[in-house]
Amino acid sequence: MTNLYQSILLILPEIVVSSVLIILVLSDLIFHKDKRVIPFIAGLGIIVTGAFVINQFGITGFAFQTSSQTVRNYGMMAIDSFGVFFKLIVTASSLLILFFSHASNEIQKTKDRLGEYYALIFGMILGMFFMISATDMILIYLSMEMMSLSSYVLAGFTKLRDRSSEASLKYLIYGAVSSGLMLFGISIVYGMTGSTNLYVINSLIQAPQINLFALSFAIVLIFAGIGYKISSAPFHFWTPDVYEGAPITITAFLSVASKAAGFALLIRFIKTTFVSYIDSNGSWTLINVFDWKPILIGISILTMTLGNFSALWQDNLKRMLAYSSIAHAGYLLLGLVVFSNQGLIAILIYFIVYLLMNLGAFLIVMLVANKTGSEEIDDYNGLGYTSPLLAVSFAIFLISLTGLPPTAGFIGKLYLFIALVDAKMIFVAVIALLNSVVSLYYYIRVLKHMYLVKPTESTATVVPSLNNRILVLALAAPVLIFGIYFAPIVDLAKNCLVILGL
Amino acid sequence: MLTDFGKILIFIILAIVFVIITLLISKLIRPNRPTFEKQKVYECGENPEGSPWVKFNIRFYVVALIFIIFDVEVVLLFPWALIYKEYGIYGFAVGLIFLLILGLGMAYEWRKGDLEWARPQPKPPKLSDILNRNSETLNSN
Repeated sequence: MTNLYQSILLILPEIVVSSVLIILVLSDLIFHKDKRVIPFIAGLGIIVTGAFVINQFGITGFAFQTSSQTVRNYGMMAIDSFGVFFKLIVTASSLLILFFSHASNEIQKTKDRLGEYYALIFGMILGMFFMISATDMILIYLSMEMMSLSSYVLAGFTKLRDRSSEASLKYLIYGAVSSGLMLFGISIVYGMTGSTNLYVINSLIQAPQINLFALSFAIVLIFAGIGYKISSAPFHFWTPDVYEGAPITITAFLSVASKAAGFALLIRFIKTTFVSYIDSNGSWTLINVFDWKPILIGISILTMTLGNFSALWQDNLKRMLAYSSIAHAGYLLLGLVVFSNQGLIAILIYFIVYLLMNLGAFLIVMLVANKTGSEEIDDYNGLGYTSPLLAVSFAIFLISLTGLPPTAGFIGKLYLFIALVDAKMIFVAVIALLNSVVSLYYYIRVLKHMYLVKPTESTATVVPSLNNRILVLALAAPVLIFGIYFAPIVDLAKNCLVILGL
Repeated sequence: MLTDFGKILIFIILAIVFVIITLLISKLIRPNRPTFEKQKVYECGENPEGSPWVKFNIRFYVVALIFIIFDVEVVLLFPWALIYKEYGIYGFAVGLIFLLILGLGMAYEWRKGDLEWARPQPKPPKLSDILNRNSETLNSN
């Protein structure tokens, strides 16, 4: 009883998100004719959610503990500062996406379905919040489905375009297969250990009599489900099509928030289930049941190489950014491969930077697409002369995505490579570095089109409204500032390492 | 004494007897005017035989979606009804909130007009049309 009351105090952000979801649906029904008020309700809801999330800083504890006394009292959800960090990333990106949606012609055209759009975004946020702090396989599965089902609909939200419907259908079919595989893996683990709680599984698989083959098989299946969400290499093939077809605001949301939630889940899953102890240097010792290291190294190298080399040939900027987000998933996995707190810090720093630069790049593509109606690279010919503000900020975002100083992208990559070198994985670091060189080509190609090609008559002159100009600057300025003065984000990341463990 | 399976046996017998009696009574009192359509196997207005790859009327999906609300409701209310007393007013409130949210789903469907049938609108033939057509044929002759 008291246990339940305490749990409710621990999941206040989730409760706020669900109430906002309900309020949005209700106001969609009440303001049937005039839906102008709905975006404001959504924005206010996000801000209140953010306040509750920040309020959770420093609180640690389990929510929804089992009442059975046979095993130690582990809950379905772990509230810790690691979770708060990722919830903040999700909240911040959702707030930005709300601004994007307000500026997007594509979304504003669907006036009569605007209520559903915002309600579905809140459905995704709710799923992500639960995904970030879930420590029970059933809750992991349910929250992943909650997030996916909303995102399937959102990917096809502009339903009159064929590309959008195609994206939605592909996303649904691939997603159904991967979540089916994951459920199969979960059932095998449950069959072997008799528990769905990650902490209980952790203590049970340390026993020597576990069947290693079946366990490895199950883990590979579960990884397929999570890898699909973060679009890592063997499970990445949906990404380009979905990112290209979905409305651009949703593409940006999927590439940042959904990926962040997936990474939070993967890190928490690996750390709580497979780590036996953490020594004073902060490096993790894995239980000797499944060799994560070579597999993750292979997957991350494959992911970034595939992402970067496929991006070389793309003429559609949305598709190029999709491949680049696959490549970034590869870099982020490298932080996990190190299996130490240092690697974790690198991932957290990288996510802050990635949020700013990736959303910024998508914002510019959206503003140009608002004007021209397409995302082809030829539309950017001479854009540097006709629309200097957009072109300069786009250049900043792209250089940051490449990872060159003096932008924040460099700091993210720097910490990743330092972590790799400290863990004596210099070979992997060199491959990642070479990959960055490859990525330089396709990012700089856009700059070439913007500045080295003279503007023609067909070049659009994009003059964004004042709000959009502020939005662009609000994303571009931190990318530059954090590139030089990066102590705050490093400190924030260092304070958010606590993953509730044994 | 009755075992648990004995109760199930009684339940099965009752079910069979109930079906037989109902069919028998309806056989006795209903008028018997068979037509071709009536003698086909009943399958919700679809052809019971033939290729399964036919286009279903979109209304079936709408009905199915509306049904999901009540389906979920029933599935989750049974376990709730069994244990909510242990949690007192708290347990009751949880169930109530759940029902309210489901009710919101129903209200949503209603307001969005999903409960309105897109009915076919048959045009009853008008006498004037028929007369006009007849006069046209007469004229052409």
